[in-house]
Amino acid sequence: MSNNQTPAVLLDNTSKWYGQVIGLNDVSIAIDGGVTGILGPNGAGKSTLFKLLMGRIKPSQGSVRLFGIDPWESTSPYRRVGYVSESEKMYEWMTAHDFVTTLARLHGMTREQASESSAHVLDFVGLSDVMHKELGKFSKGMRQRVKIAHALVHDPDLIILDEPLHGCDPIARTSIMSVIRELGNKGKTVLVSSHILEEIERITEQIVILHNGRLLAIGNLHAIRDLLDKHPHRIVINCEDPRSLAKLFVSQEPVFGVRFPSKGRLEIQTNDLSAAHSILPSLIVKSNQKVTSIENPDDNLDSLLGYLIGGVQ
Amino acid sequence: MDDRGLRLAESVWTRLDRKAGAIVELTIRQLRHRLSTWVVLSVGALLMILLLSFYIDAVRESFEPIDNDGDSFDADKDGYPMGQERKYGTSDYNGDQYPGSSKFLLEGNIDLDDNGRFITGNYSWNGEALFEPVWVDVNYSGNNEFYWSEAVNWEEVGDCPEIDESDYNEQTWEFNWGSACLIGDMDNDGRDTYYVRGDWFGQGTATVLPDRSLAWGRVTEPIFIEPDPPELYIDEDGIDCFNSDGERTECPASDRLGGSHGFDDDGDCLFSNSEVAKDEGEAPRDDSNGNGIVCDVLWATDFDGNEVLGIDADNNVDEDPNDEEYAGELGHRTFIIGVGKIAFVLLLGLFLPLFLALGLVRDETENGTLHLLLSKPIHRGEFILYRLLGYLAVSGSYVLALSMIVGIIAAALGPGDQIFRFSDLPVWLGIGLATVFVLAAYGAIFNTMGLISPKYGVYGCIVFGVWEFAMGFFTILNPNWTVSSISVTHWALQMIDAVVLLSWPDTLQWAEMGSAYGINSALATFWQPPVHDLGTQSGFVALLVSSSMLLAISSIMIFIGQSVFGKREIM
Repeated sequence: MSNNQTPAVLLDNTSKWYGQVIGLNDVSIAIDGGVTGILGPNGAGKSTLFKLLMGRIKPSQGSVRLFGIDPWESTSPYRRVGYVSESEKMYEWMTAHDFVTTLARLHGMTREQASESSAHVLDFVGLSDVMHKELGKFSKGMRQRVKIAHALVHDPDLIILDEPLHGCDPIARTSIMSVIRELGNKGKTVLVSSHILEEIERITEQIVILHNGRLLAIGNLHAIRDLLDKHPHRIVINCEDPRSLAKLFVSQEPVFGVRFPSKGRLEIQTNDLSAAHSILPSLIVKSNQKVTSIENPDDNLDSLLGYLIGGVQ
Repeated sequence: MDDRGLRLAESVWTRLDRKAGAIVELTIRQLRHRLSTWVVLSVGALLMILLLSFYIDAVRESFEPIDNDGDSFDADKDGYPMGQERKYGTSDYNGDQYPGSSKFLLEGNIDLDDNGRFITGNYSWNGEALFEPVWVDVNYSGNNEFYWSEAVNWEEVGDCPEIDESDYNEQTWEFNWGSACLIGDMDNDGRDTYYVRGDWFGQGTATVLPDRSLAWGRVTEPIFIEPDPPELYIDEDGIDCFNSDGERTECPASDRLGGSHGFDDDGDCLFSNSEVAKDEGEAPRDDSNGNGIVCDVLWATDFDGNEVLGIDADNNVDEDPNDEEYAGELGHRTFIIGVGKIAFVLLLGLFLPLFLALGLVRDETENGTLHLLLSKPIHRGEFILYRLLGYLAVSGSYVLALSMIVGIIAAALGPGDQIFRFSDLPVWLGIGLATVFVLAAYGAIFNTMGLISPKYGVYGCIVFGVWEFAMGFFTILNPNWTVSSISVTHWALQMIDAVVLLSWPDTLQWAEMGSAYGINSALATFWQPPVHDLGTQSGFVALLVSSSMLLAISSIMIFIGQSVFGKREIM
């Protein structure tokens, strides 16, 4: 466990630029304990941040510390770090158990220890029944879980996951999310990057938002979301008769307008998203209509960023 | 060991050990899963099978015995081979002289300016004289001894031209050899005097004119001697060596290398110093190496006497050795050294790393699996080292196994009295080890080149490979050429030279014997004593120098690769 003086992750005025292109711009953060979501659209600096943390690149300015140690100079922090890369590439000819065991041995475990730990960790990610199958035959979600298993095999204190949910089917997503939450509950420091707000929201409340290489926001997602909720939001409902459903909504307090963007679709405009969502189920039941879907087109990272950037400006 | 010591060992050394083991094992398994690995290893094995089949073919058709001194040939067509004629001291270019032919035994002569110029007796005569015969043998056919002389034809004797007797001293009758003319009864004793020129046989008084000469003697009866079959004069004079007790021993002698050896088994050296040869103006051939010992072989050694520098034989001593015995041994050693140098060091040593080592780290980057390894607590430098060790485990064990297999087959088939040539195995092991050193050096160099320039490194490697190949050949031809020492192959070839010197200390003698006795062999081309022995002439020192050199090259290249890779940002 990391002690109190040195956080697991510490960036101090860290910048990284690739020639003219800025990857990370004067970022200072300290993260220790719990699950933290690293949010940002593609190109925001998430990958740069992780590469700096993994000692793959050297900061142009400022410093990076893992457990108080510069990862560019020393690989010793990696005894306590598990890293799940975005890359899909693995040794396709190996079995899952073999793969995790081989990499576990790089932590200095004996063959027996490594074999035991990897069986354990593969069970933890729910792959115990397929662990002796070749990786080449694995689905995307299974591969993602193998990668998580290899990062957990040495029981690290800090786990870094780069887009772990990317491209996974809903079932895999759910299972990976529960694994991540469980790690957080165990008191590990977990960093999860994503460009999808909803995913992060289901895992953690603690977020870091990056945009164009800058640290845009850091803190509790709910606090940010509360701010966001007070701004105009849209809820799109696909139903049989949008007009009759609209009548029920216009009288409600959080709703300040309705639109019919296309056939069979109702768009509700609101200033208080959570309040609107809380009345939504009862109204739909009341209308006695068949609703096929409910979408929140503004409840995504882009609108969050739009709001935050607007707020900053 | 106490508790703390155990913990220290556990925490530092064994963990390092385990990581190394894991990466080495991973590398081996990765190489095993690549088709190119199997292709290049199979090509190497095929090459060895090909070379071995050539070798088997060569040993199966036994060595044709060669008449190294050419004495099985009957040059004068008298039915006796040259060797037999030499033994009997008869001329090998005069068909009238052959073993058992009648021989002229000289009893006396009157030379051009001797005093007392007349002689009476019953002789075979040779020369020119005024001869007053009691009788002559008109059927005498000459004495065969002097090839220019001719028996006098007594059938056609005419009168001599009229010359005043007082002019006899200044003037004689000029006519052909083998003829005579009648002068008449000069002293009025009722016997005619002839002027005779050539060979004749008879009793009488001969008067030799000034500036003329006459020899006389007796001619033996011809006897019949069975002509030897020519085969008897092939491989009839083998190489003889003597130990310090003067006993004949196997060549090359291990006990006494330098000094006088050799024995004229067929006797043609001793006889070649016959009177006939002298008479025919030939220099005595019995001590042509000038060491004061007749008909021997001088083995010249270096100052400490452990290296033969040259072999100088008297003419016709040990000049026709058993080719099967010597050419077999020479050919066998040439095969081993040639295969070791060209097939192992130059071909396998260069191509295995080119296919197996170039991508050790680079492929991992290209495949995108590098991050898996670099996110572990392993220094990048360590990572390179362990990768190379993994590659070396595959290529090195392959080369060692291959060299031992080829070695065992060749040792079972090779020449010699023993069933299995155990003395070959250290050489094969040395060849295998030299190749492993080469694999390490090239592995480090190619890997580093791939790291320095992932894109163009391969071209650099090819250019470098051509250079190495050329330097390898130059080193084989002339190891003393300084430029070639700026190459890995040079040091590896030197390593083989050193191993050969250590395992077969007599190889230099074999090479010298090959050239001294005209045995067909390329041993001297493929093997010369190691150059870099720091002046000690010790194979061990040379082995140490060359292997240290290769280790240093490998270490430096690994270090460069580590620094390049350690400072690189990996995107």
